[in-house]
Amino acid sequence: MSTEFELSRNITIGQYLPTNSVVHRLDPRFKLAAFVIMILAIAICSTYVGNLFALAVCIGMFWVSKIPLHYGLSGVKPAIPFIIILATLQLLFYGEIARGGTIYFQYGFITISSESVRLVLVSAMRFVEVIFLSSVLTLSTSTTELTHGMERLLGPLQKVKFPVHAFALIITIAIRFVPTFAMEMEKMMKAQASRGADFGTGEWWRIIRRTKDMLPIIIPLFNVALARAEDLILAMEARCYMPGASRTQYTHYKATGKDYSALIISIMISVIMLYIPW
Amino acid sequence: MTSPIVDVADLSHVYMQGTPLAHRALDRVSIQVERGECIAIIGHTGSGKSTLIQHLNGLMRPQSGKVVVNGLDVSDPKVDIRLLRRQVGLVFQNPEDQLFEKLVGDDIAYGPFKMGLPIAEVKERVEWAMELVGLSFDEMKDRPTFALSGGQKRKVALAGVLALRPHVLVLDEPTAGLDPRSRNELLQRILRLNQEEGLTVIFVSHNMEEVARLAQRVYVMANGQIACEGTPRRIFGNSSLLQEHHIGTPEAVDILYQLREQGYAVDTGSFLPEEAAAEILNLIKR
Amino acid sequence: MEKGLTVRRIVIAGVLGAIAILLGVTRLGYIPVPTAAGNATIMHIPAVIGGIMEGWGVGMIIGLIFGVSSFLNATVPLFKDPLVAILPRLFIGVTAYFTYVGLKNINEYFAIGAAGFIGAMTNTILVLGMAVIRGYMTFGVAATVALTSGLPEAIVSVIVTLAVVASWKNLVKAGKQKSKISG
Repeated sequence: MSTEFELSRNITIGQYLPTNSVVHRLDPRFKLAAFVIMILAIAICSTYVGNLFALAVCIGMFWVSKIPLHYGLSGVKPAIPFIIILATLQLLFYGEIARGGTIYFQYGFITISSESVRLVLVSAMRFVEVIFLSSVLTLSTSTTELTHGMERLLGPLQKVKFPVHAFALIITIAIRFVPTFAMEMEKMMKAQASRGADFGTGEWWRIIRRTKDMLPIIIPLFNVALARAEDLILAMEARCYMPGASRTQYTHYKATGKDYSALIISIMISVIMLYIPW
Repeated sequence: MTSPIVDVADLSHVYMQGTPLAHRALDRVSIQVERGECIAIIGHTGSGKSTLIQHLNGLMRPQSGKVVVNGLDVSDPKVDIRLLRRQVGLVFQNPEDQLFEKLVGDDIAYGPFKMGLPIAEVKERVEWAMELVGLSFDEMKDRPTFALSGGQKRKVALAGVLALRPHVLVLDEPTAGLDPRSRNELLQRILRLNQEEGLTVIFVSHNMEEVARLAQRVYVMANGQIACEGTPRRIFGNSSLLQEHHIGTPEAVDILYQLREQGYAVDTGSFLPEEAAAEILNLIKR
Repeated sequence: MEKGLTVRRIVIAGVLGAIAILLGVTRLGYIPVPTAAGNATIMHIPAVIGGIMEGWGVGMIIGLIFGVSSFLNATVPLFKDPLVAILPRLFIGVTAYFTYVGLKNINEYFAIGAAGFIGAMTNTILVLGMAVIRGYMTFGVAATVALTSGLPEAIVSVIVTLAVVASWKNLVKAGKQKSKISG
């Protein structure tokens, strides 16, 4: 009960779990690149064996990054009813579309063929693979590292006039201000509660009423944030910050053999997944 | 004998209990406030002042110890929390941030409307609260809130809390960030609320002039505990105590201490500017 | 309008991005409504407001921050897929901006409300569309969700966007409006 308003103390962005494994210590640029490659491969691969292989790789990733598998499973668990419902629906209605292969069962508009069964099983496996892979990435990489990694990976885009530095600065500002605004929000909730506000006790079907109940927090929150923004704009302009001016980096990443091997391994895994014919 | 309107006994609070980041914000704090008193709570940043006042209207519930306000036991899970929050009007730091309605009158009326009062009574309360803080009801009620000055906005926020007709008014650094003129006016208003309307006032402050002018009694907090309690005369008259807890003194008291160091016999407990002036005049006349 | 990322646009995008993240990690981001999901998200609203205030570029960046944060914090498998969690969110602020610009000469309030509506619908339709393309849902399910959950969300979005933008831009004319307790 006394934690009703304790927002600012309970906020975590991402789910970083420092175990200092090989995966944790990878250069975030390479880690991100490898992640993107594997996600793409999973998205394309539609064979049984290919997905089983990918599943095995994903589970292996937990072991390599010294993250207990239950962290990944806890992401899957709430999804199980969802997966089952989805699978049932797909099984019932996709038969019409995926007519290929042998037909196992047909009644009225319901058709179950080897193709639709494959579709259901493969998409369920993809689900789990994506969850596992994303979990490993977010559990093994801090938000700062992710930002840096993204900034460097997008570096070449500067050549086509994409404002990479400005972009990284925006993300840094965003992350910097989350705890500040969390405290503001906590204060706002307490102040309005002191004036008799109650949040979410109106009848549940009255959408407009319930939305209006939140306005005493949302409006001041945006106003305070935008006022902070005005101060920051003034401060940056007073110090002659020039968007797009060239500047040096505070952190330097130096790719090692490990990083290159990680990238090569992820490419190899992807190639294997896509070339398995069954 | 009447019981105190605010009775805090052995109140402790630990933030993030059970984690490595656990932090003891309140440690067996006890305070008693009588009806109609004006109490100041002073202390260093992080001494637990804010945590303490948030217990007074049930924003935080006691982890251990007891908080009873006007007969309502805050630690009782079945206590009517909305009734409690109407008994204790809590005004946060920079309360002008919390204004959200477009028009002054609507913002002040928010609390009374939430209480489900009929419109005639809401109107009456808003008028009463606005006059108390020194805003003309007829002139100001239809003004857009953004067009107000900082001092006026703060008055609107204060009126918004007063419109709940609380018995106890709790203020967290009520004058922080105001210009000297608005500051003086607001202090006058608070003083009148206490003396003429009989409102019990509890306020947190870093400004010792303010404490000297308003408070009948002062609680000094340090490291989550009540370090000492007494009249301003007693607290400001004790320089070793003030130094120990890094608390400043009103300028008037500063001057008197300096005079005493020079070897003049002055009463350093004379904390009001007028009293200090009288002390100095005495010295000159002698 | 000035072109490119000015200091103002960088900072506004960052600050509104922070709110998008914050709304995602606290329960404030969800307003309970009578839908299958049980609540309407308002996490897309910073992107809408960024688009209205500073143009489509800022709206797109805030959408990206919202998308990445919902991807990083995802508990529902649907949003563990970056193609569903991130890509559709890029367009929320963009459509909101063009709606606002196209309509603001008719009426400022109407334009802001419409931008809130279109922004929310962009979110719903593109996320669900992507979910269908990626095979997480059938078209029928997606259409049902769009109606039962997308519409209430769009209504919520109109109310909140209007309230916030009107408050920040001080869209009240002195003497024109009367408070509820007047007269």
